[in-house]
Amino acid sequence: MRPDGKLPPPHPSLAPLPQRPQQATGTDMDPHARLPDPVPSPILKHSPSISRSLRSAADTSSVTFAADFRSPSKPESTSPSFDSFRTARSRPSSVSRSSTRRSASERAGSQRDLRDEDARFVYINDAPRTNAPPAMFPDNSIRTSKYSVLTFIPRNLYEQFHRVAYIYFLILAVLNFVPQLLVLSKEAGVLPLAFVLGVTAVKDAYEDWRRHRSDKNENNRTASVLADGVFRPKRWKDIQVGDVVRLVANETLPCDMVLVSTSDPTGVAYIQTINLDGESNLKTRYAKQETMSTPPEALAGVIKCEKPNRNIYGFLATVDLNGRRAISLGTSNVMLRGCELKNTVWAIGVAVYTGRDTKVVLNSSGAPSKRSRLETHMNREIIALAVALVVLCSVVSLLAGIWMGDHVDQLGIIPFFHKYDYSGAAAHDDGRYNWYGTGAQVVFTFMSAVIQFQVMIPIGLIISMELIRVGQAYFMVQDNRMFDEKSQARFQCRALNINEDLGQIKYVFSDKTGTLTQNRMEFRCASVQGRDFSETDGGEEDGHAVQADGVVLRPKTAVTTDPKLAALLKDGMGAKASRARDLFLALATCNTIVPIVEDTVNPAAKLVEYQGESPDEQALVYAAAAYGHKLVERTSGHIVVDVFGTRQRFDVLGLHEFDSDRKRMSVIIGCPDKTIKLFVKGADSSMFGIIDKTLNPDVVQATEKHLHSYSSVGLRTLVIGVRELSQSEFQEWQMAYEKASTALLGRGNLLRSVAANIERNMRLLGASGVEDKLQDGVPEAIEKLREAGIKVWVLTGDKQETAISIGYSCKLLTRDMTQIVINSNSRESCRKSLDDAISMVNKLRSLSTDSQSRVPLALIIDGNSLVYIFDTDREEKLFEVAIACDVVLCCRVAPLQKAGIVDLIKKRTSDMTLAIGDGANDVSMIQMADVGIGISGQEGRQAVMASDFAMGQFRFLVPLLLVHGHWNYQRMSYMILYNFYRNATFVFVLFWYVLYTGYTLSTAINEWSSVLYSVVYTSAPTVIVAILDKDLSRRTLLKYPQLYGAGQREESYNLRLFIFIMVDSVWQSVVVFFIPYLAYKNSAIDSASLGDLWTLSVVILVNIHLAMDVIRWTWITHAVIWGSIVATWICVIIIDSIPTLPGFWAIYEVMGTALFWALLLAVIVVGMIPHFAAKAIREHFMPNDIQIAREMEKSQDSRDANQPEVQMSTSTRA
Amino acid sequence: FIFDFFNARLHFGCSRMQMYPLEMEGNSNPKTTNKPKYSKFTQQELPACKPLLTPEIVIAAFALIGALFVPIGLASLHASRQVVELVHRYDASCVPVDDKVGFIQNSRTDKTCTVTMTVPKYMKSPIHVYYLIDGFYQNHRRYVRSRSDKQLRYKSAAHLTSDCVPEGDTADHAPIVPCGLVAWSLFNDTYTVRVNGVVTQVNKKDIAWKSDKNNKFGKNIYPSNFQKGRLIGGATLNESIPLSEQEDLIVWMRTAALPTFRKLYGRIEKDINANDNVTVVIQNNYNTYSFGGSKALVLSTASWIGGKNNFIGIAYLTIGGLCLSLAMGFLVLYMVKRRNFGDPSNLSWNR
Repeated sequence: MRPDGKLPPPHPSLAPLPQRPQQATGTDMDPHARLPDPVPSPILKHSPSISRSLRSAADTSSVTFAADFRSPSKPESTSPSFDSFRTARSRPSSVSRSSTRRSASERAGSQRDLRDEDARFVYINDAPRTNAPPAMFPDNSIRTSKYSVLTFIPRNLYEQFHRVAYIYFLILAVLNFVPQLLVLSKEAGVLPLAFVLGVTAVKDAYEDWRRHRSDKNENNRTASVLADGVFRPKRWKDIQVGDVVRLVANETLPCDMVLVSTSDPTGVAYIQTINLDGESNLKTRYAKQETMSTPPEALAGVIKCEKPNRNIYGFLATVDLNGRRAISLGTSNVMLRGCELKNTVWAIGVAVYTGRDTKVVLNSSGAPSKRSRLETHMNREIIALAVALVVLCSVVSLLAGIWMGDHVDQLGIIPFFHKYDYSGAAAHDDGRYNWYGTGAQVVFTFMSAVIQFQVMIPIGLIISMELIRVGQAYFMVQDNRMFDEKSQARFQCRALNINEDLGQIKYVFSDKTGTLTQNRMEFRCASVQGRDFSETDGGEEDGHAVQADGVVLRPKTAVTTDPKLAALLKDGMGAKASRARDLFLALATCNTIVPIVEDTVNPAAKLVEYQGESPDEQALVYAAAAYGHKLVERTSGHIVVDVFGTRQRFDVLGLHEFDSDRKRMSVIIGCPDKTIKLFVKGADSSMFGIIDKTLNPDVVQATEKHLHSYSSVGLRTLVIGVRELSQSEFQEWQMAYEKASTALLGRGNLLRSVAANIERNMRLLGASGVEDKLQDGVPEAIEKLREAGIKVWVLTGDKQETAISIGYSCKLLTRDMTQIVINSNSRESCRKSLDDAISMVNKLRSLSTDSQSRVPLALIIDGNSLVYIFDTDREEKLFEVAIACDVVLCCRVAPLQKAGIVDLIKKRTSDMTLAIGDGANDVSMIQMADVGIGISGQEGRQAVMASDFAMGQFRFLVPLLLVHGHWNYQRMSYMILYNFYRNATFVFVLFWYVLYTGYTLSTAINEWSSVLYSVVYTSAPTVIVAILDKDLSRRTLLKYPQLYGAGQREESYNLRLFIFIMVDSVWQSVVVFFIPYLAYKNSAIDSASLGDLWTLSVVILVNIHLAMDVIRWTWITHAVIWGSIVATWICVIIIDSIPTLPGFWAIYEVMGTALFWALLLAVIVVGMIPHFAAKAIREHFMPNDIQIAREMEKSQDSRDANQPEVQMSTSTRA
Repeated sequence: FIFDFFNARLHFGCSRMQMYPLEMEGNSNPKTTNKPKYSKFTQQELPACKPLLTPEIVIAAFALIGALFVPIGLASLHASRQVVELVHRYDASCVPVDDKVGFIQNSRTDKTCTVTMTVPKYMKSPIHVYYLIDGFYQNHRRYVRSRSDKQLRYKSAAHLTSDCVPEGDTADHAPIVPCGLVAWSLFNDTYTVRVNGVVTQVNKKDIAWKSDKNNKFGKNIYPSNFQKGRLIGGATLNESIPLSEQEDLIVWMRTAALPTFRKLYGRIEKDINANDNVTVVIQNNYNTYSFGGSKALVLSTASWIGGKNNFIGIAYLTIGGLCLSLAMGFLVLYMVKRRNFGDPSNLSWNR
């Protein structure tokens, strides 16, 4: 319920989507017409229109709570049952309220739609019968783990081999076993792949073990289940469908169950669905009167319900209690697994869905999978490397062919080819030994070369990147500065493969409510009877505690009151004062808030917390309490309001829930003085249509003025009206209402028209202004983001005035900006204003050529205009205007339009987009953007579930992008380039040697060293450096947001850098190979010794190359870089200590010669000179911003070291 | 369209597993704080050193390398110049011109060949006698792989000849020890050295690595079926001497890294004076003619840098000189184009 309409939709006919044909005749509504509904928290929205509209939004954007469309659409189109009518009639005490409350679900519960073959039969309290074959329902254990001990290896391998890269490496490993090719020994050939698969498998196994553990905890929780007439504790996993489960307050539901009775005589149970959808407020569930009346032990019957499905907003069932008439059950009768029972002493239910059939399990899904920009670019370089690989292999095989051609006569006898087998002639028919002709030999050479040079395409890169991202994610999650104290929410990394995208964002699309603002409403001012009461300066901050039965009741949230208004309400006499009291009575009653009384440490004082689905309503009720109208009790039939200390009981005679067409709600209450009053509360646009302006024209005029001023300071406004109903009017309404609610066709429309019929000729009471406070640090964050060259677009459902004023308060808009407003209500005017905007942009652009004197532009556009623009293919023009503007503010936009706007940018530029939001209405936008961020706030978990990252506050975007994003991007870019470089260097060294072996692809480097090279010798430093290295400190990055531009301009990873590092790679390989070659030419050196020298020098060289580029040396960096050189040395020594390898003891022998050390030193120095010199030149003569900032940081550090007190102050700031 | 190599997944009916995301949220217990524990590690604030390439460091690094390399270069060049090395190629002079291959393959002809060299400088013992072979690809893949190291070490592994093809087993399937092309092609020229007409002992003991003799070649493994095939590759082995004592074989089995290589034949443990005449009587048995290779005899003394090797000295001098000139060059560059270190006005948005 959201009286103000967080996202008031445009007129249905202007809906953004092309209208689809109605699904069936007699459908009481067209869901697409109301697509732009906001509805962020739909779980208990019984009004079908609301949940329907969410579902349709969910459908198009495939949110996680993707609904099952089968069940809701069918019952609407067919006739309802009489049962719902009977049910409503059978409880006359609360006829109106309960029937509205339950109508939707009960209509959905028409048993005629539930055919037997589509249903599951649950015999209450008879689990054996329920579960008897062929039913065989799953037990209540849940299994989120993927593997068991037995299935782990095959399944994990199966999943890993879905990667094309692994298939490539597998093919190479298999090729190696072809006898003609056997380049590497069998063991060495499979080692790289086995290593990579092994590391991944260990990672998966660990994750799965954690899941196993949490499953076990979950499955072994206990609940009390009826067995043999008594409730006994039973483990969750043993609960079966048909079991009767008893819950007490604060217990978590073990399975989906139909509520049969509760401690409340009216059958109400309150549940908290925070685990299901993140909403912390309480929802009501009802037990059927029929089941309430029977003690649970005696309960017998059969529940016929639909098959398990993912729709958490729908439930379709009937219950047949021992031959009595079937009673239909709906969403309001079912409690889902994961919810908690609150404020209800006990509740008893029958398990209907268990284990993997429960809706929460059906709805859970993994994080979305996106691919980072860097990885997309990386593929370009991988293709280049693949081409290089093919070229190398072709060169080798071509030369081999030429060589064999030259020696064609000698191949039979020369010792090094030995085409014939001379020893055992009988073994081979023609005496040939592995000779298939020159052509075949060339092909074999080519394939052998591919095997030999396979690391050119770095296999370790995949696993390195995964490890690095896990590491980076760990540090992002651990970052204290992104921890939200208020909600205790840590930063969450849900997508593990786009960390580095955070460093390249160009556009941020932000939701307003709940993202920029807290979505924690505060009552600010009221316009009462044409008088504005917004002076709260002198007011006391008072929750207005009341005393009752010696216990002080105090609202949880205090509201600052306007003393004049408080005085008027308390002591005022006359009509004006009584109207003012009516206004606050309306605020206290016209809502769906439930007061929850909490104990405090002081037994004489209690806190009242108002729980409800709409933060606006909560704020209004708290305000009413502060002004002396305290809601104390609400049941289905009556409301108790404490009016300045006297408790008054109001009967709730009728209630029309908020719906987004009417954009208002109304309540009919019977007052203690026997009058019947209709209170209506709603958005100004809808309210002024039903207000009788002749009753108090001056008040209407003044209120309109006040409303304008409220919304221009960013307040959310509501208008309240009242009408006294005569007895006859009420009876007329009651009849119409009952008729409508039992109608066979089009009930929704009928109910709406009943509401519209009574909501007329209202007397304007006044209006309220509720402030949605900005979150902490939002203006500063937006400023930082803008300084960083990120364009911030705000997309909101709010009114234009509200949006603009919020824009000002969060520093999105500044006074020096030229605003372009496109706010049209027809196609033509929209086109015209767009053309005007373009000419204005062009004019301003031609006026100011240099960037300094440029006039900043802001585009403000509303949803209606967007509809026209998207309809008429004028997106191109909009794009042109939008990118020329510094700020874009879209107001009154629907969820799908949000996605459309993101798409507008995504399609036309290569810039990275980020969307941030907190509600279900942001889901489509979050999924559309390159990076989606969910705010884990007030509005549930759907945004979080759809997001790639989730955090508690908007302002964390600054450290996330500017600090972590920058680091991640810089680290990952360097790591990828470095990986290419180090593998290519090694391959080139192998290649040069091949030229001196008769092109036969033998290596001097031990084959074990060559397979260990990329996975062991050099991989750890890359991973650690890519997790830990920081090019700049957090302080500098936050101080100079412009440094973020490096990522946007792709400065750390581009083709130029790739070419540079490849040239360096070729140079270093030449040095590594040819210096020892020239030194040892004509000498008695053996291949193992020379191979060891090459191995060590290439490993040391690439590690020193890395060391030279490391910016921040911590002890870990030292340990890993020098450690990996030492580890390589140890590995080489170990390999050379195996007597059955040809190179036995070579390293010891060669290390004993001075020449070895002289060559090692020469290779390292000569290899590093170009890189070192180029780095020196680049850093001094062509410094980029990061380089200068590093230098500034360095001098800052030395200053800090000299003046420690300065350091203290600056570090707290940073 | 770019094919995504690492992420492209083959879709052969992979059903994505669903996760159960609801636990592990901090909401369940609001009393205990969910805040990540502070540590320097988790906040990435470990003390760190952040070196920068300042002009001083660059110049100092180059100058230091130059200062270090020039002396090393001079020293090694000097050492290399001290080495006396006599190389005499004899493959052409020891065979008749017309049918070299026929001559060498004929087992009955007398292949004795005498070469005479004059020693230019005093040669201090030990004088290493090497044979140098050119154009012999001892690193050819088919060649180097054709050996069984297990067989050389373990008696029980004598039958492991599968890696040795085509020199694994004899025609009647008896394992050859040592098997494989490497052993098969064992060098078999012999040298008898006379200094000024006096026969001088060439010590053939300890020419192989100790480690090979002790651990790689078995003390209880004797050659068998060796060189009994249709084609004789090279030397035969005395079947009564264990492999660990067959030092020529051990030296040969350390396959050379490059197509031109020398291998130690023995040592003359007697000084040779300048202008002494060294006469070597060669039994020219080894067939390098069929593949167009060449053979040479090398007499060489040794220094700390190894044999005669000017390259390393020249390389060090070159690198040293280059670094010194780079140091000078950078000095000049830094003088010409000064830049204030860490000047915020150089930042792109301040420019």
